[in-house]
Amino acid sequence: MSFDPHPLLIWFQKLPNGGYLLGAIPVWFIIAGGLALLVLSVSAVSVFVTHRGAGGKLFLRELSGCISDVLSLSPRRIGALAKLTFLEAYRRKALAVFVVFALLFMFAGWFMGDSKEITNDQVKVYISFVLRAISWLVLPVVLVLSCFGIPEDIRLRSLHTVVTKPARRLEIVLGRVIGFSLIGTVVLLVMSSVGYIWIVRQIPKTAKDQGLLSCRVPVYGSLTFLDRAGTPADKGINTGDLWEFRSYIEGATAARAIWTFKNMDASALDSEGNLHLENQFTAFRSYKGDMKRQLLFDFKFINPEKPIAPNQPLTFTTDARQVNEFRGVTDKINRKLGREGDEKTYDLIDDFVMKDGSLIVEVSCIDREQYLGMARPDLFVRRPDQPFYIGYAKAVLGIELLLILVTIMSVTASTFLKGPIAAVLTSCLLMLGGEDSHNFMDELVFGKFKGGGFLESIYRIITHMNPTTDLPDNPAFVGMRFFDAGLTNFLWLCKQVIPRLQYFNMSDYVSNGFDVPWDASVVPSILVTLGYLVPCVLLGYFALRIRELESK
Amino acid sequence: MNNMTTAQSRKLTYLGGIVLLLIPIIWLGLPSDGKAGSGGKLAQLRSQYELGESDLGDVDPSSAAMNLVLLGMRGVAVNLLWVDLDKQKDMKRWAEMQAVTESIVRLQPHFEKVWEFNGWNLAFNTSAEWDAVPDRYYWVKAGGKFLKRGVERNRKSTHLQYHVANVLQKKIGIADESKDYRKYFRNDPDPKFNGGIDPEFNPDDLDSYLAAKAAAELACIKEETRPQHILDRSLFRSMPARCQFDYAMVLQKDGKFGEETREAWQLALNDWTQKYGKETFRVSIADELFDIQLEMNREDIKAFVKSPDDAVKLTRAVESYRRMVNYYYWRMRGNAEADRETSEAHRDLYEANQFYRKQELEKARASALSGMTTFDAVLHKKGYEELKDEDTLVEECLLGIMVWEDTYRISNERVPDEFPLKWLKQERLGNESTMQNVSRAFKRLFLDN
Repeated sequence: MSFDPHPLLIWFQKLPNGGYLLGAIPVWFIIAGGLALLVLSVSAVSVFVTHRGAGGKLFLRELSGCISDVLSLSPRRIGALAKLTFLEAYRRKALAVFVVFALLFMFAGWFMGDSKEITNDQVKVYISFVLRAISWLVLPVVLVLSCFGIPEDIRLRSLHTVVTKPARRLEIVLGRVIGFSLIGTVVLLVMSSVGYIWIVRQIPKTAKDQGLLSCRVPVYGSLTFLDRAGTPADKGINTGDLWEFRSYIEGATAARAIWTFKNMDASALDSEGNLHLENQFTAFRSYKGDMKRQLLFDFKFINPEKPIAPNQPLTFTTDARQVNEFRGVTDKINRKLGREGDEKTYDLIDDFVMKDGSLIVEVSCIDREQYLGMARPDLFVRRPDQPFYIGYAKAVLGIELLLILVTIMSVTASTFLKGPIAAVLTSCLLMLGGEDSHNFMDELVFGKFKGGGFLESIYRIITHMNPTTDLPDNPAFVGMRFFDAGLTNFLWLCKQVIPRLQYFNMSDYVSNGFDVPWDASVVPSILVTLGYLVPCVLLGYFALRIRELESK
Repeated sequence: MNNMTTAQSRKLTYLGGIVLLLIPIIWLGLPSDGKAGSGGKLAQLRSQYELGESDLGDVDPSSAAMNLVLLGMRGVAVNLLWVDLDKQKDMKRWAEMQAVTESIVRLQPHFEKVWEFNGWNLAFNTSAEWDAVPDRYYWVKAGGKFLKRGVERNRKSTHLQYHVANVLQKKIGIADESKDYRKYFRNDPDPKFNGGIDPEFNPDDLDSYLAAKAAAELACIKEETRPQHILDRSLFRSMPARCQFDYAMVLQKDGKFGEETREAWQLALNDWTQKYGKETFRVSIADELFDIQLEMNREDIKAFVKSPDDAVKLTRAVESYRRMVNYYYWRMRGNAEADRETSEAHRDLYEANQFYRKQELEKARASALSGMTTFDAVLHKKGYEELKDEDTLVEECLLGIMVWEDTYRISNERVPDEFPLKWLKQERLGNESTMQNVSRAFKRLFLDN
């Protein structure tokens, strides 16, 4: 695995220092509440400025009107508006996207290598191609339709006929969101069904029998290291990789990688009482040595709660096994464990799982002066596999949720911007929502970049000043830093409004043969979508309510 | 009415503009009817510089379609793909990397550097990231096959043809794992080949060095029409003969000392002196251009020049070229190794090692002594003196001495004070690197099966 799925913190977590780390929902309440307060304050001030004495009354009347609109929503009217939106999109030939889709899949085989050489890697390419092609075809169509819907209605004045009916503007926004999402969903369902059939047909039966189309269910643990002297360390050794995902432990020393798996019980075993431990370690040789065999390592199960002698916990070490790089290898460990020189047979669950349900597995490299590389997801307990279509369906659900999010943002943007500008705004938000750009913004916001903020970096560039040289300590530079801090805080605020789209990309899991985890991907995607739905729809309603519809 | 006239006249203006633009487009893009000089300007230029898709190499319809569909965005798409490729390489996502490489070459099928870089990347860099030798070989093969496909798409490319030879000679033949790679070249470890060859990589079921030689010969043929910019021409064209030398040497290393090996040396000598030695290289001496051959003797040079001064200059030029390619050494080595006596000496020392490994000490001692005696005689032969500077040969002799001496030590006997090649041992005792190599090879006698 080359990615590390971490469950999203939903509520809060108690920190070792006694503080609390807030999760997604409390943070959402703070930001959404803050934004609502900001919008209300700005509206109140503008009403007081324009209407002076009568402002207060007017503001309260508008506010109560808004609340009454929210409370008197009619599902029937929303349904009717959604149906109209669906038909409108259909008449605008949204389904023409199927032509491009058909063309892509007709010729995809040309670009995808030889089906005679089906390997795990080849399957990975097929699956990621299908899911990526579907996303890239559906999302732009939905984006364009949603961004141009309301502005076009305003331009053609067809919105006038709607707003003069009993339909409320909040219902118009909701109807639009639902209608465009529905047409997108229809397109997505057809494409994903064809895509599924295409994948299954591309992969020969023999390859399927070998389990190449799998959906593994991993249980990840936490990883800690011991260095070569046996002292706890944050990481192992970097053997020169640019990508610091994996770190290495040295062979034939006290260096260890220690995994702790939580909530382990007999349900983790298969019907024959075996624990499936899958690993994907990498090898680094400091000298070539014996190339006829791969590097060796072993697993050691430890239970510190059951000492067999003073300061000597109960342990069981497996036989040495060879590293099989870049491929998942599953080791079956039987629950009945016999230790050398000990007549007693131990039970993996009863004797090695601790009271809190944790199982500790220690990995060591056996070959002297050779190194074994690993990251947290490189060792996991493998529960019984799910059928492939489960993982695939979850990945399609990820695209569906993204589609809804795009529709929400596009419709909202189109309530206060013209079509093309709304499309640009939504596209920019989507581009900025990627993991890389969020990481980049994090680095900017938390001052990880050398060279300072906006003004400071300009000053340094012009004066050719090294980023490590301190700035002079005088009022001008203090002011400059103050201004930069203001900008950085503003960027932090903007960052909170930009959606985190990394959760929606579930194709990596499926293409790598894994089930999509609920806690690290599906639930966060649903939360992000819901998190944007409420404020965006309210913002769209508010914008449409104060918008002068005669102005094209 | 007025509006209608305006609209109509506007349409007519558009039509006129379209017709006007069509004239240069037709003049430029008219297709050729197959005869020389026919067709539009672009067709004529394409024919003149042999730039048509089919002139350059095999046509890949998917690649052509992709380039057309992208219109002018090919450059942007390729740049994005390169960024992806680089990231995937760092993250060791090999499958995705291979897929992106495929997309890049479909977009830039005639950009030779793309084939060269990615072929090298797969064969040399990606293979080194894997631990198991069959895995490493898979990527070496992927790189080699990729370069071969590059040659098919760019038939006239001398560079790509050279790189095919380079992967076969240097990666398969000289890598640390070369023993396994060479075995896999003819008995692929992939189960789908049932222990036979991969027909895409080694269609003629040749030894890797002979396949490298064939590829290098093709590169030399292509070089005659399209110059290369990788090596000096004299070094570039020595490659086929050097592959033959490598082949002969590896036969000895594999313990084959019969007629096959002697013939391989003889062929290498012929390739070196009769083919490569008779190749013509153009050199410039004081603003004048001369054609030289490395096998030229004084008489040839005299017949070639107008004045004694020119003869001196030309002799110097030939000498400098010979030094550059180590011409004398390889000629002498070829002569010596094609000699039956040398071949027997090699066999004796090889057999001594085998006997020693099995601890048949008497036989090991006799074979080692026989090999040492013969080599002593060979190295004293007139014309073969420089062989004593040849590290591989010296190390082989010193290993023979070490085995011979050890047979005495194991039997608790005194090692004789005088023995053949004693002078060579004394000469090399101070050379730390040689002695280390010999002692490593001695230890390996117990490790290798």
